[in-house]
Amino acid sequence: MQEDPILHSRRSLTLKFDIPISRTHEFWDALRQGRFVTTKCAKCGQVSFPPQSDCPKCMNGEFAWVDLGRDATLVTFTHVEIIPTSFAGNDSYIVAICELANGLKVLAWLEGIDYEKAKPGMRVRVEGRTSKEGNPYYVFVPA
Amino acid sequence: MTFPAYYALYAVSHMNRFGTTEEDMSRVAVKAHHYGAMNPLAQFQKEITLEKALASQVVSWPLKLYDACPLTDGSAAVILASEEVAKKLTDTPVWIRGVGYSSGSANLSRRGDYVGLRASVEAAKRAYGMSGVDPGMVDVATCHDCFTIAELMAYEDLGFCKKGEGAKMIREGQTEVGGRIPVNLDGGLKAKGHPIGATGVSMTVEITKQLRNEAGRHQAPIRNGIGLVHNVGGTGHYAFVTILSRD
Repeated sequence: MQEDPILHSRRSLTLKFDIPISRTHEFWDALRQGRFVTTKCAKCGQVSFPPQSDCPKCMNGEFAWVDLGRDATLVTFTHVEIIPTSFAGNDSYIVAICELANGLKVLAWLEGIDYEKAKPGMRVRVEGRTSKEGNPYYVFVPA
Repeated sequence: MTFPAYYALYAVSHMNRFGTTEEDMSRVAVKAHHYGAMNPLAQFQKEITLEKALASQVVSWPLKLYDACPLTDGSAAVILASEEVAKKLTDTPVWIRGVGYSSGSANLSRRGDYVGLRASVEAAKRAYGMSGVDPGMVDVATCHDCFTIAELMAYEDLGFCKKGEGAKMIREGQTEVGGRIPVNLDGGLKAKGHPIGATGVSMTVEITKQLRNEAGRHQAPIRNGIGLVHNVGGTGHYAFVTILSRD
């Protein structure tokens, strides 16, 4: 197929994020140790994910850390084939929403499986990873 | 994440729970282009086949190029007036009978399910309540079909059919002219286009034309004189439903 004439313009955009984690660094520390934890409000008991130092339900600022375990069930997913510019260095990937044992839902990449074989309801587990910049992050993998 | 990926998460869940297929979603695109071809103001005025839609580039599986609305330049306007002024300005005013608004969590992992938009359900409930209209009385509607799965979910969320029966509606042609409730006869966001800031008003313009029997080749039969406009922001972060009537 012959392409229509096009004027190409390419510019680079540098993305820089500095995210303060002074009150939630335990989450990242735990992830490096292979544990998946989150915040529980000391006042009303609300368990939140992602971790929230201030309770979204009662606004209280006191909280404790609780272990979420690593087992989950795949709720839904998609295979992203047209990739956003900020992930241009990646191959296509699967984004999934999974439900943990306590009912909390978590959105993350699903790795280690072809999307044709993924099926809502399948068992998965959380795994810690380290990004190119050296930051911890988490993905789901088949259990 | 990409915007198509958000709606694709809903598509996979809807397929898994209700047996909706990629073909069902492509049927929505075929319908949109069919009516877009009758609308001289539509961005896309060419018919497409089911095969062409199904064979198009995958963007975020299961959503493909033809499941997605385009980026559009466009504008739309309405004249909003009091009852007294409206009667002076025109012999054929169209009345706002009910409005409903609702928001939904911006964080998808905090939503209850992925087979419908709660914001749409709540907004519709409020608009129907204010107007005293029930879904069976609506002659014609514009729904927020930013992706084909969004239109199928809208049929259900707005009460045009039961939850899970959106695909059945499109398979049976119930949302075409001659069906139970014609939807997006201007071509919808998919073919008419999605000029984001102007889209909601353009949907209102379309229903106004329909209720006045001025929609030309894509005119729906008007029996009760009642139309519905459904507009969504984000992935159901908020939704508006407006019920309009001729009398």
